[in-house]
Amino acid sequence: MPRGAHLTLEPAGDLSQASDEELVQLVCLGKRDLFAHLVGRYQRSVYHIVQGILENPADSEEVLQESFLKALQHIEDFRGEAKFRTWLTRIAINEARMRLRKYRTKLHDSIDDGSDDTMDMRPRELRDWRPNPEERLADAELAKLLEKAIRALPRIYREVLLLRDVEHLSNEETAQALGISLSATKARLLRARLMMRDYVAPHFEKRWHHRLLDRFTQRRRSV
Amino acid sequence: MIRCEDVLREVSNFIDAEVTEELRHEIEEHLRGCHNCTVLVSTTRKTLSLVSSSRILELPTGASQRLMERLAPHWS
Repeated sequence: MPRGAHLTLEPAGDLSQASDEELVQLVCLGKRDLFAHLVGRYQRSVYHIVQGILENPADSEEVLQESFLKALQHIEDFRGEAKFRTWLTRIAINEARMRLRKYRTKLHDSIDDGSDDTMDMRPRELRDWRPNPEERLADAELAKLLEKAIRALPRIYREVLLLRDVEHLSNEETAQALGISLSATKARLLRARLMMRDYVAPHFEKRWHHRLLDRFTQRRRSV
Repeated sequence: MIRCEDVLREVSNFIDAEVTEELRHEIEEHLRGCHNCTVLVSTTRKTLSLVSSSRILELPTGASQRLMERLAPHWS
């Protein structure tokens, strides 16, 4: 049962406002069906993260189920040292990695693609972008481009970007969910973000005649 | 005096406002005179805003129900 959680709600009352920790406490007290509220809150997020790692909808759905099942079976082990969501995310990431490892072992490949090396980070395409780059592409095209860019990231960078910039976990929560240090999280995040920027930049930079116009305007201003 | 390499190393922390006040001032000062770093910061920030606003992934059809069916025997 999470430390510091104070139960103030009746199980039969409106639980939509209950905190995760309160729900966990009720589940631990035997109201196990209330776990469904936690499922409702986080199923999309967990699926999203797992799919980002596995890139296979069928596997991702199985891992989604395994993750929630494991969380329910071990709910008494949740001590409230991290937020419930972080604890659940860590379970899901471990399940996804295990599945990945199983496949990779068969292929004699390494799961640890990418490294934390922060050298060699020269950004490409340092030209300015249009004022509203999203207007350049329709929503569907933009979503496709970003999906492709995220898929192109080595796994360790994809994981950190998904947690931090897609699911909006804090740096500390991301570090806890990934089981790495805060400094390693920040180092990976830096690389992930720069790689994403490099990938999408060519689609959004200003066209040559706009750049020429900018330069001309600047020159006129300075005269 | 910080250099472009320092801005590159700190760009992520700078965007997250996770740099000290002193470093933030130094970076802002550097940005005033460096076009490349200004572009780097603005386009990285824009990339993150696109990532965070456009990625909405729905669950596959029926996945939610199948999940509940899998869990139900464990909470009844």
